Amino acid sequence: MIELLAQTGLNALYAASYTALVAVGLVLIFGVMGVINFAHGELFMLGAYAIVAVYADWNLPYLVAVAVGMTFVGIVGLGMERAFFRPLRDNPLGGLVASIGFLMILQALVSMGFGVRMEHVPPVTQDVIVITERVRLPVFRLAVILAAVVLLACLWAFLKKTRFGWALRASAQDPEAAALQGISINQTARIAMFIGAALAGVAGALTAPLISVNPHMGHSVIVTAFIVIIVGGIGSLEGAVIVAVAYAFVHTFVTTFFDGVIADIVGLLLLLVVLIVKPTGLFGSTDRA
Amino acid sequence: MVAKMFKDVLTRRSLLGSGAAVAGSAAAAAILPRTAFAQDKVVKIGFLAPLTGPVAAWGKPGLDGCLIWGEWINAAGGINIGGEAHSVEFVAYDNEYDPAKARTGATKLIREDGVKFIMMLGGDTWPGAQPVADRTGMLFSTLLPSDLSPDTTTLIAPCEVHPIYNVTGVEWLADNMPELKTAVMCAQDDALGLPSVATYLAAFEAAGIEMQDDPLLFDPATTDFAPVVTRLISGNPDIVCLDTCYADYVHPICEQLFQQGYGGQVISCTADFYQQIVAKTSEEFMEGFVFQFPDFDDPALNDESINFQKPNEFYAEYASRYGADQWGAVSWEYASIMDLWKAGAEKAGSAEPDAVLAAMKEGGTGLHAFGEADWWGKDLFGIDNALVGNWPIVVIEGGKATIKEFRSIPEWYAKHGELLKKHMSAYGQMWDQRT
Repeated sequence: MIELLAQTGLNALYAASYTALVAVGLVLIFGVMGVINFAHGELFMLGAYAIVAVYADWNLPYLVAVAVGMTFVGIVGLGMERAFFRPLRDNPLGGLVASIGFLMILQALVSMGFGVRMEHVPPVTQDVIVITERVRLPVFRLAVILAAVVLLACLWAFLKKTRFGWALRASAQDPEAAALQGISINQTARIAMFIGAALAGVAGALTAPLISVNPHMGHSVIVTAFIVIIVGGIGSLEGAVIVAVAYAFVHTFVTTFFDGVIADIVGLLLLLVVLIVKPTGLFGSTDRA
Repeated sequence: MVAKMFKDVLTRRSLLGSGAAVAGSAAAAAILPRTAFAQDKVVKIGFLAPLTGPVAAWGKPGLDGCLIWGEWINAAGGINIGGEAHSVEFVAYDNEYDPAKARTGATKLIREDGVKFIMMLGGDTWPGAQPVADRTGMLFSTLLPSDLSPDTTTLIAPCEVHPIYNVTGVEWLADNMPELKTAVMCAQDDALGLPSVATYLAAFEAAGIEMQDDPLLFDPATTDFAPVVTRLISGNPDIVCLDTCYADYVHPICEQLFQQGYGGQVISCTADFYQQIVAKTSEEFMEGFVFQFPDFDDPALNDESINFQKPNEFYAEYASRYGADQWGAVSWEYASIMDLWKAGAEKAGSAEPDAVLAAMKEGGTGLHAFGEADWWGKDLFGIDNALVGNWPIVVIEGGKATIKEFRSIPEWYAKHGELLKKHMSAYGQMWDQRT
């Protein structure tokens, strides 16, 4: 039983790592721009397809492919900000509808470019750390966990220690006051969108060798990310990280000890309970609720 | 890459077009002698299956196979209906495995395109098309006989008796590896997964193999299968059964089984694009993997009992067009159904649905791809509209799918039919339990 618990814990850590990356990106975009980006799952998908193109098709090193994926998806995010979210800044519903439309466009474009079938991504490494006969941690999964921790730490440092980070936080707290202080709303929106999209892209790129890469893979990720950011409190980065970890552990353990369908029900029940007891989310503020 | 993109753009555009005839058929028609067919002698066949989305692997490869079939038939003079040669044209509609789109597609194919027969994957999409079938009397086929019921007499399952043929794989395993005593199973919780769960449970019980645990069901939206696999192998089972999981699940589950150190037997209904699984795990890990769908370059398919035109050449043509690693469970199946439909239409001297259906079912027997078969199913489906005979057991050996044996489904059912009905009832999968 101890071995089963340990293996499940390792599985949960991995799930928490990529879920946190996706959810934090989603929260950052909402926090600064006030837009619910429904296309966030498709940005995750684009990151995975960057791996298909650069690593699987062009045979370039995996880390190069991850860097390309992160940058490319960040640039797509910049395009979304300029094309959809900026013109619709005063219309939050408009931004949401535009993102829904854009997700369909992205799915169609990827289907046209790569086909609709699942893509094959060769394994980066098949090495496994054998802790005991029944507790194993694939090296690549460990790398994903470490990469997520490093990226989130970098984001935290950026937000807390740099002028751009301060500007982002100020814009998230009170856009009008931030503008009166000379902070460019357009610039902070661009930075937020680039970072948020890049985080989704890098999550997709990191996990691509481990999951089925197809044009519709963003769907399940976005559902989980929405549960996480609503429970964590929309607009709360800390909440997103903490709840991503908690949700991943709950979901993974329930899947292992009961089944995956029950795990989904438990996740949605948690969402329901939080919405009833604390509608702003566990770490959310009233302003953004 | 550019060529690949260009090819896929064309494919996608053709899908998005309003039911335009599939490009391959049109191209083939263009190069055929004009004298082969009078210009208005075209019989249109509807292809209503998921061509995009997570279930596309069980639709799109089938359409690709039909294009080859259509080109070959047209090149050979077409279909002789009532003494006149007719060229065949496939009209595709992507239902995205969505019941509402299946209904829209069925209506459009019948009203606007004038098709004479509609092939479907079935499953979750059949309830969408069923009212259209009942209203119009159109002849439909499904790959999933669990869609059959006496309510719709014009729905047939003439090729794949999913999931009943899965019993042959378990029976073969028990006969050849009697040391395997325990099994576990996982499946997605949907219309494809559940009847297969019931079938495998019956097959394991009939074979004297003990289930270590209840089948582990997972949400079809699952992406990370590590928890599922951890649970599956926690009791060190002799056999891990992957039920009828979609290719998107079979691959990551196998990879997880490999990474978590499982060394036992794996059995699955399908192993689409298995070369990719071998690449992600190892040839040693995949050695002995049992499933039910052969590659058609298998020499065993050249036996005279096989009713599929030039299977090895068909596979070679498919592989040259789309790549051998794109061959899947359904690549040949819809084409095989077309063989049956063609024979029925030629026998009836008509392409009208009721006439073709009567001709196909005449005498209660028919020529299935894998040999002579019976129209069967009243016990399980309430109607004898499934064509059931032999089915192959396929094992991966040296990284390549190999047919080990053909086994009779009716013979298994004669011995263990009550077990199957018991488990189907327990999962609410008997025809009179389905809503």
